[in-house]
Amino acid sequence: MSRPVALRVVPRDPAPNAFAARVAEGHGELRATAVDTLQINVGKRCNQACRHCHVDASPTRTEVMPDEVVDACLDVLARDEALQTLDITGGAPEMHPRFREMVTRARALGRHVLVRHNLTVQGEEGQGDLPQFFAEHACEVVCSLPHYTAEATDRQRGRGVYEASLEGLKALNALGYGRGNGLVLDLVANPVGAFLPPAQEDLEHDTRDFLLSQHGIVFDHLFTITNMPIARFAQWLERAGLYDQYMDRLEEAFNPATVAALMCRTLISVSWDGRIFDCDFNQMLEIEAGNGAPLTVHGLDTKALAGRLIRTGDHCFGCTAGAGSSCGGAIA
Amino acid sequence: MGAYFDDKDLAHFGDLKEHAPELWEMFEKYYGSAFQPGLLTKREKVLIGFAVSQSSQCPYCIDSYTQQALEQGLTMKHLGEAMHAVASLKAGIALAHALPAHNIDKKVSM
Repeated sequence: MSRPVALRVVPRDPAPNAFAARVAEGHGELRATAVDTLQINVGKRCNQACRHCHVDASPTRTEVMPDEVVDACLDVLARDEALQTLDITGGAPEMHPRFREMVTRARALGRHVLVRHNLTVQGEEGQGDLPQFFAEHACEVVCSLPHYTAEATDRQRGRGVYEASLEGLKALNALGYGRGNGLVLDLVANPVGAFLPPAQEDLEHDTRDFLLSQHGIVFDHLFTITNMPIARFAQWLERAGLYDQYMDRLEEAFNPATVAALMCRTLISVSWDGRIFDCDFNQMLEIEAGNGAPLTVHGLDTKALAGRLIRTGDHCFGCTAGAGSSCGGAIA
Repeated sequence: MGAYFDDKDLAHFGDLKEHAPELWEMFEKYYGSAFQPGLLTKREKVLIGFAVSQSSQCPYCIDSYTQQALEQGLTMKHLGEAMHAVASLKAGIALAHALPAHNIDKKVSM
């Protein structure tokens, strides 16, 4: 069992922290623009327990979004046409009992639905037809694959995950995913260790060449994501004696050109219990959005969230390091 | 003074500037320029850096270029191939330097 880690990245106040000060040098306060994406974390249950997971998700977690929160999310989506994208994450979101209903209803509302899919969940009981379900509802499927080599991927995500992931990708390809015909298949790659990701276009090129030549697999885009010093990854950094070195690396690589495109400016994140956060990372650190009364998804008015001050901490350097990082990959 | 090589020393590499500032600045400019992408990519130059580091047996450079290689998307599988390319070439160089023995033997032996 991993020992508790005293995280040093959770200032309660958004103003006095090193990240806010660094942003202020060139951009003033970090504020949201208009919200166009509703990202919902439907729970922490997952069929995997990856070593870098900022959610601390695993098969033993019991947090699952209850019915009234699911209903409230769908209600907000129906009421607010500015929310053009529903981004469903977890855990493994497909393990939520109402996952398919959420997708179906969001698509019926005409919303773009993006599912953060770990590929191996296709092997779980009752999930074998997920590729068909995704295709029938034209979901954008964003799949985790830390690296195109088996050794690196299995070191982070568990033995055998690479092979299972390739099978999952092949199943999606067989239904037309990743072939540029509208069924969008993205890969997410993140470093297997305490270092920054490579240039996104370089890794996308190498991954495309390797997966096609070795396995006949195709995909549309590859997103590089920086590991966030939160939860399980932070615990690993502490145990390895690398926490300070990694935080220094993130801070020294601060790139002001990333600030304008930070995902927290256009997204709101809903936790399994219905609270509102500026991003999934703040959610895991319990840094709730806004500075007044806690916000919940029940009756949420997203227009009132435009222009809000984003709450930050030193972990935010993870999104501004190098080419930047977001749920959609590099941003600068 | 502790060990001759300490990983914390790497961060103080630039302290050498104080002894010959103008020459140091020329070195920094030269080094920085040489590692900019050109006809060779940044990654190719980082791999050259790794190979030279290993061949030159510099622990600071091996530390730096291993981490740079990882940030270029390379893994120890890639570096494993690189290190054997270096090692085999070094073996070849060692053997090539044995040629004088062969030549001398041919010259002086009946």
